[in-house]
Amino acid sequence: MKDLSLIRNFCIIAHIDHGKSTLADRLIEMTGTVSKRDMQSQILDSMDLEREKGITIKLAPTRLIYDYEEKEYTLNLIDTPGHVDFTYEVSRSLAACEGAILLVDASQGVEAQTLANTYLALDNNLETVPVINKIDLPSARVEEVKLEIEDVIGFDAEDCPCISAKEGTNIDQVLKAIITKIPAPVGDETKPLKALIFDSHYDNFKGAICLIRVFDGTVKAGDRILMMQTGKVFEVTEVGIFVPNTKQVESLSAGDVGYIAASIKTISDVKVGDTVTFADNPIDAPLAGYKEVQPVVYCGIFPVDGAKYYELKDGLEKLKLNDASLHFTPEVSSALGYGFRCGFLGLLHLEIITERLEREFNLDIITTAPSVSYHVYKTNGEMLEISNPSNLPPAVEIDRIEEPIVKVNIFTPPEFVGTIMDLCQDKRGIYKDMQYLDKKRVELKYTLPLGEIIYDFFDNLKSRTKGYASFDYELAGFEPADLVRVDLMLNGEKCDALSLIVHKDKAYTRGRELAERLKKIIPRQLFEVPIQACIGNKIIARETISAMRKDVLAKCYGGDITRKRKLLEKQKEGKKRMRKIGSVEIPSEAFMSILKLDDEK
Amino acid sequence: MKNKDISIYIHIPFCEQKCNYCAFNSFCASDEIKEKYINLLCDEIRRRKCDKVVRTIYIGGGTPSVLTGEQIKKIVGTLFENFDVYEDAEFTIEANPNSITEQLLQTWKSLRINRLSIGVQSLNDKTLKKIGRLHNKKMALEKIKLARKYFDNVSADLIVGLENESGKDLCGYAKQLLALGVKHISCYLLEVYENTKIFQMTKEGKYKPLDDDQTIQAFNKLSNYLCDNGMERYEISNFAFPGYESRHNLNYWARGEYLGFGLSAHSFVGGKRFKNSESLKDYELGKIEEEILTNQEQIEEIIMLGLRCNSGVDLLEVKKLGYDLTKNSYFDEYIAKGILMQNGEKVFLNPIFYHISNTVIANLFQ
Repeated sequence: MKDLSLIRNFCIIAHIDHGKSTLADRLIEMTGTVSKRDMQSQILDSMDLEREKGITIKLAPTRLIYDYEEKEYTLNLIDTPGHVDFTYEVSRSLAACEGAILLVDASQGVEAQTLANTYLALDNNLETVPVINKIDLPSARVEEVKLEIEDVIGFDAEDCPCISAKEGTNIDQVLKAIITKIPAPVGDETKPLKALIFDSHYDNFKGAICLIRVFDGTVKAGDRILMMQTGKVFEVTEVGIFVPNTKQVESLSAGDVGYIAASIKTISDVKVGDTVTFADNPIDAPLAGYKEVQPVVYCGIFPVDGAKYYELKDGLEKLKLNDASLHFTPEVSSALGYGFRCGFLGLLHLEIITERLEREFNLDIITTAPSVSYHVYKTNGEMLEISNPSNLPPAVEIDRIEEPIVKVNIFTPPEFVGTIMDLCQDKRGIYKDMQYLDKKRVELKYTLPLGEIIYDFFDNLKSRTKGYASFDYELAGFEPADLVRVDLMLNGEKCDALSLIVHKDKAYTRGRELAERLKKIIPRQLFEVPIQACIGNKIIARETISAMRKDVLAKCYGGDITRKRKLLEKQKEGKKRMRKIGSVEIPSEAFMSILKLDDEK
Repeated sequence: MKNKDISIYIHIPFCEQKCNYCAFNSFCASDEIKEKYINLLCDEIRRRKCDKVVRTIYIGGGTPSVLTGEQIKKIVGTLFENFDVYEDAEFTIEANPNSITEQLLQTWKSLRINRLSIGVQSLNDKTLKKIGRLHNKKMALEKIKLARKYFDNVSADLIVGLENESGKDLCGYAKQLLALGVKHISCYLLEVYENTKIFQMTKEGKYKPLDDDQTIQAFNKLSNYLCDNGMERYEISNFAFPGYESRHNLNYWARGEYLGFGLSAHSFVGGKRFKNSESLKDYELGKIEEEILTNQEQIEEIIMLGLRCNSGVDLLEVKKLGYDLTKNSYFDEYIAKGILMQNGEKVFLNPIFYHISNTVIANLFQ
């Protein structure tokens, strides 16, 4: 019988860049889980992309062994993503823990996501231990930040560990706090199995791997398990733990964190948040809190080479396994051919998925401009959910359109309040509240249309406040708005992949900007190409790409035919990245250009 | 043309001074190197002797006119000793106005050379100086006049796209050239390659070539002028009075066989393309790059070369190689828009679209 009092399951939560991954590295190092020789900075961030972006995308748990007061403790660390896009993933890994380290940067203090993540931890009844990081920085203001934690969050921070994860200062205090402040798990290993899937990934040999936290019971190879949401039954082939690489063990029982492999071939059978139990002796009700994650941002993804449709499908399916929040359905565009309409948790998520498709699956893809999902009420009473602007019914059939609204919390130094208010105003925001948290920190509350946020809100906020402001948002329902679809016509032909839904007051400006931008991006063609932006049949902007003038190699030097042929072959090769709309050839980047409209201002 | 017919190109890589726009394999050299090169060249001619009969000879460069009469005699002598040459063979030599002398002209004439291609480029003194030519307008006109005393078939090169050279200027030059009895004019577009002086000058803002629109406008004006005065545009860059087309160049475009002697010279025989080495050291060692054309490459050549000329592409010829050009996704569109013109089994590029031929040709590749 295992002593549960020697187990702690915890995670680290923080605002982005407050040093979460560095602390995780230090904990691993201190406990000797990985020898210093094998230590690679940010060891839990296994994807190249994560290291490059310096953010954690995918959760990676690890088991730490630490001796404290002559007892050997098993500490299961579950690293979590810090970005607002991944709130659901964070909430599921929080549900696998009894406690959380709340890491706060000693110079930046409490930020929007510090608060958002703390609320998530409280929702999951976690014991939360504040830790102040980066005390080595000259700009560190430890005492002020302690007060901030007490005032803004309401935690007692008087004796909290003050550390430098980078330099390894006071890491032992963190370990001590984990053991003394976070409660041990409770559970009964003799009961039927009750385990939570908090992550999954795909292994080419073992099939889908479920990362689980066992609450009750014991699971081992040979057990028949039931996924309670999907109703699927599998036979366990292997169970193991992370140290931080996978290590096979006999069994996992109540209180443990580890993985199950069960020859699961269909990747959609593993859902993050699902409860695993025994097929022959199930528990009555699944763990609470499961939800089908709903995407907030959508875009079309198409292969540059139409023949690679199935490779794209395969890539998306494999990524979906690691990422329950990725949604995709087949889509046909008259401009781009066969592809998928994909739903994401946010723009960062979108960016990560498209980059992974390109890197890990070697695909050349075209992405269309991101859109949100609109509720379109037709005059006949029907309601449509439209995330692809080209599916919007004709204006006469529409009674009203409702757009998703988000509640936004912005934390900023007071001097930027004015410029942030201007920004929110410009993005059709409605002011709700403003509070001075202390002399240096103001919290602004707005409601904004989500569609405005996904364009460039975050970049704009950062540049207007020199990076000092942080923000967080949550969905707050739908509200009617005066929205229209702007279509783009190239040489008189509508290009469905370039349509966008915008507020009526902005349609004229957006249409004109888009036409101007396309004029810059689309190379000259053999003939003059008019670009028109229109609403319905009304043309609101027009630009013209003049005909190509010069594309010729005049001289064939002394019979050097090969050089010329190779040049033309190269030119032909370059054409493969172009899409043809009617007789107009468009480079694949053009389709994303709608997104970047405001960048050039 | 008979199967035994062949063309010969001889490369003289030397110049008195490198022109600012030149990205070609040419350089200034000492007399010693010139002598050595000529010996190597003659060795190559002897070594590659074959029983083909020569229809055209072209001595190009560089500047072949920097060679002395004796040096040219030696090369041509070796050629005639080793190859049968048709009585009426076209025999061209390239020359720069400044290196033409009456004596050289007489020597050339005595060697059966019957066509002169003169690098005029411009007739504006300021322009000529800026692009690094060694002649001025006066000299160019005088030398052409002199050359015409000995040669009926004189061709002149002009460059379109040079700074401040409008279509009107170019028509003016053409008028003066035609008045002197020039029978053939090659009009090349200025191409600013990275390894040229002019590229550097352009980057530093010291030189400003015409932009694409201006260049093509100027070219079209010149082209119209030449055609209005009885010349025919028989290839993208070449204009001639009837009967004065360069048979040597036509052979390249018709994919006829040719041997190239000398540094970096190209050959095409027995369906293979060869290229001599570009470095003198490797040339001495006889290093050659060989390329056997695949079926697809042959098709591409036929399309690319056929569309350059007013003779067009023979659909049957590419069909024999397994490619039905009319099934290309662009073909119908191009016919409909008048970019391509079809006459039976022949397809032509409409001359008003010559300036965008790369796009059209690349799209018509398989």
